[in-house]
Amino acid sequence: MSKLKLNGVSKAYGATLALRRGDLEVMAGEVHVLMGSNGSGKSTLCKIIAGSVRPDDGRILIDDTPVTITGPRSARAQGIGIFYQELSLAAHRTVEENICLAALPAKARLFVDRTALKERAARYIALFDGVSGDGFSADALVGNLRPDQRQLVEIMKALASEAPLLIFDEPTSALDRAQVERFFEILRDLKRRGRGIIFISHRMDEIKAIGDRVTIIRDGETITTLNLGETDAGTVIRLMVGGAGDMPASQSSAPAVVDAKDGAALTVRNLSGAGFRNVSFEVARGEILGFGGLHGQGQSALLRAIFGAGSIATGEIRIGSDRFDAASPRDAIRRGCAYVSGDRGRDGVISGRPIIENVTPIHYLRDRLMIARPSKLSDRVAPALESMHTKFASLFHPINSLSGGNQQKVIIARWLIDRPDVLLLDDPTKGIDLSAKADLFALIRQLAAEGLGIILYSSEDAELLGNANRILVFNGGSVSRELTGPERTRYNLYQAAYEAA
Amino acid sequence: MSSVLSFLRQPIVVALVFIVLLLYLGELLSPGFASAAQILRLMIVASLLGIVAAGQNVVILGGREGIDLSVGGVVSLSAIIAGNVMQGADIGIVPAIAACLVAGAFFGLLNGLGVTLLRIPPLVMTLGMLGVLQGLLVVIRMGIPSGQAAPALSRFVTQPLFFGVPGIIWLWAVIGIVMALMLSRTVFGHRIYAIGSNEHAAYMAGVPVRLMRIALFMISGMFAAIAGLCLLGYSGSSFANVGEQYTLTSIIAVVFGGTSLAGGKGGYTGTMAGAFLLVILQGILTTVNIDESGRQMVFGATLLILMMFYGRGRAMRA
Repeated sequence: MSKLKLNGVSKAYGATLALRRGDLEVMAGEVHVLMGSNGSGKSTLCKIIAGSVRPDDGRILIDDTPVTITGPRSARAQGIGIFYQELSLAAHRTVEENICLAALPAKARLFVDRTALKERAARYIALFDGVSGDGFSADALVGNLRPDQRQLVEIMKALASEAPLLIFDEPTSALDRAQVERFFEILRDLKRRGRGIIFISHRMDEIKAIGDRVTIIRDGETITTLNLGETDAGTVIRLMVGGAGDMPASQSSAPAVVDAKDGAALTVRNLSGAGFRNVSFEVARGEILGFGGLHGQGQSALLRAIFGAGSIATGEIRIGSDRFDAASPRDAIRRGCAYVSGDRGRDGVISGRPIIENVTPIHYLRDRLMIARPSKLSDRVAPALESMHTKFASLFHPINSLSGGNQQKVIIARWLIDRPDVLLLDDPTKGIDLSAKADLFALIRQLAAEGLGIILYSSEDAELLGNANRILVFNGGSVSRELTGPERTRYNLYQAAYEAA
Repeated sequence: MSSVLSFLRQPIVVALVFIVLLLYLGELLSPGFASAAQILRLMIVASLLGIVAAGQNVVILGGREGIDLSVGGVVSLSAIIAGNVMQGADIGIVPAIAACLVAGAFFGLLNGLGVTLLRIPPLVMTLGMLGVLQGLLVVIRMGIPSGQAAPALSRFVTQPLFFGVPGIIWLWAVIGIVMALMLSRTVFGHRIYAIGSNEHAAYMAGVPVRLMRIALFMISGMFAAIAGLCLLGYSGSSFANVGEQYTLTSIIAVVFGGTSLAGGKGGYTGTMAGAFLLVILQGILTTVNIDESGRQMVFGATLLILMMFYGRGRAMRA
């Protein structure tokens, strides 16, 4: 029996088509896995089901009846429960209150019925007895719990909705093995009771362990639905990658071979910190080292930590042959390290200020300037912007008057006046147009040719394959695989990314 | 046409138009209100407010809900310190200036440390500091006669210095030029706007955000201290709550001048116009016999009305 059916659902944000044609059918009593790479439209599909995004087109059927989901409340009313990946808990409330938050039991429709609340929460807390860890109790404050325990509360909250259809978006990312085992037992029990479950995970072993069928989404389109029992990991990955996945990255587009005698620009030894552990690598002068893998596997955390904006627990960083432990970005910049974030709005753009003031901060710091004479600064700023083909009417217009791509060029230009030794690129092309991307990569290659050591983390595989000499694939905070030479293929990149951590 | 409109909607132009209108209104209510001598007198009062507002201005520009509510207390404290140090003698002026600046910088430093290291919101930190200062003033004044201004200081504030214009107005003009240059032509000024517009981006671009913020509160304290010293010269002797009104009026002057309370947007030229405007308003209210409490009500209402005009989209847009 079909629990949920989506037919040709689509969604566009402005000119970008997030979901072209989403089809999905979840049966009662199955765990249905949803797979797709970053930006494939998988999360848009989930948001449509959960009611937080309205589709432009297409049909949704619950129990074979066409429905319209107008918002999260309407989704809940129609029997859809969701586990949110970004934790949606109230930190200052207790575990039991959080579990029952969506539907607090009430006396006289006004006062919270404490006894009923305790009883109801206890049912779900008992499900994880023995694996929930120290300090986990019904009256513990959620804010005092460990990340894995908070994730358990989030799971309990989703279970407490008792919805016939449950969506779990990466529910296991913080859990340990025993917790995952227990969670899977619970899911199997729900299956027996005829619930439909949508399950999203990037761990192949988990998908094989719990999933019945898998639907693969690529480029905003549902590719196919397979029985997991009749397929293997290789086939699934190949379907996610699409046609040309086995072809090695074209050699013509790869940068010049690095001369080893140039020495290392940046050396990282056994570095651990918040979000990454035991990472070691070396970037030679003139090399572009790629960081690959799924989103949030420690790539950004590592780059920010090197730049002094994140915490490092143990390990060693060297720039050239000098010890480099930047206490702050200011310290890192002084010692020749540069960082470009993909999150321009948060990390880069000084909004409302003129373009020129968005380029000069690094120059002020490295040249220890006190006076900012516009005419003198213009002579330094204009060439930096022109080398990236930045389009602007005047240096004194506010940066907000530029397009996203041109804003990012301005942010990158600030590193070009006083050249750094090491350039850290943290998904630098997020949300910028194709021509700006082309300009950006032309510049990055030129900088590499001039002897900079460059690290490029990109969520777009084509950028990594086309520009990086080597690619380190991150999984769960550490490097799971290094791809060099002809190994640099889309297929290998995906396989390494989706391997069990 | 649209460029004419946008010119007319600039806060400083609005303020200047209001200045002319209010002067005209004052002249109607009380002939002689807009005479040259009277305007000079108003400008002396405006420069006291303008100097306090200079410090308020940089703190607000620095963003993160930056505001300095303790300026009124610092003005009072500085006036009392100055009066007691100089005791009516010209020889005491230099030590008095030094003592006032040190006191202003010290309380600014405390504000800055509280806001950066202890992460206390500026509104709470400086309000608390205002309370501390007010208490301190009561304690200091117990049994001690309030000091007296040195004759030279009084002359500087009230008597013509060059071209018939008193020294304090010249001082205000110099502060205006220095502030304008600092904000537009120095690295420090650019960094104030940077932390006010996007603190995190500024941090990632190597701006010493905490040091900057501490410096801004110290600057604010020192400007308030200078104003307190000049206020002593204006009134001759000091009393405990002499500077009280400057907390509210300095904020109104800054907002009137078009500086966004959200930070990162605005400048001092507008604030100067705003300060002058407020003083004219004060003069008119006095002319029509509205007492101090009535004036405070009008000022409070003015701030709220201003926020309604500028507030939508302008003041709070980050």
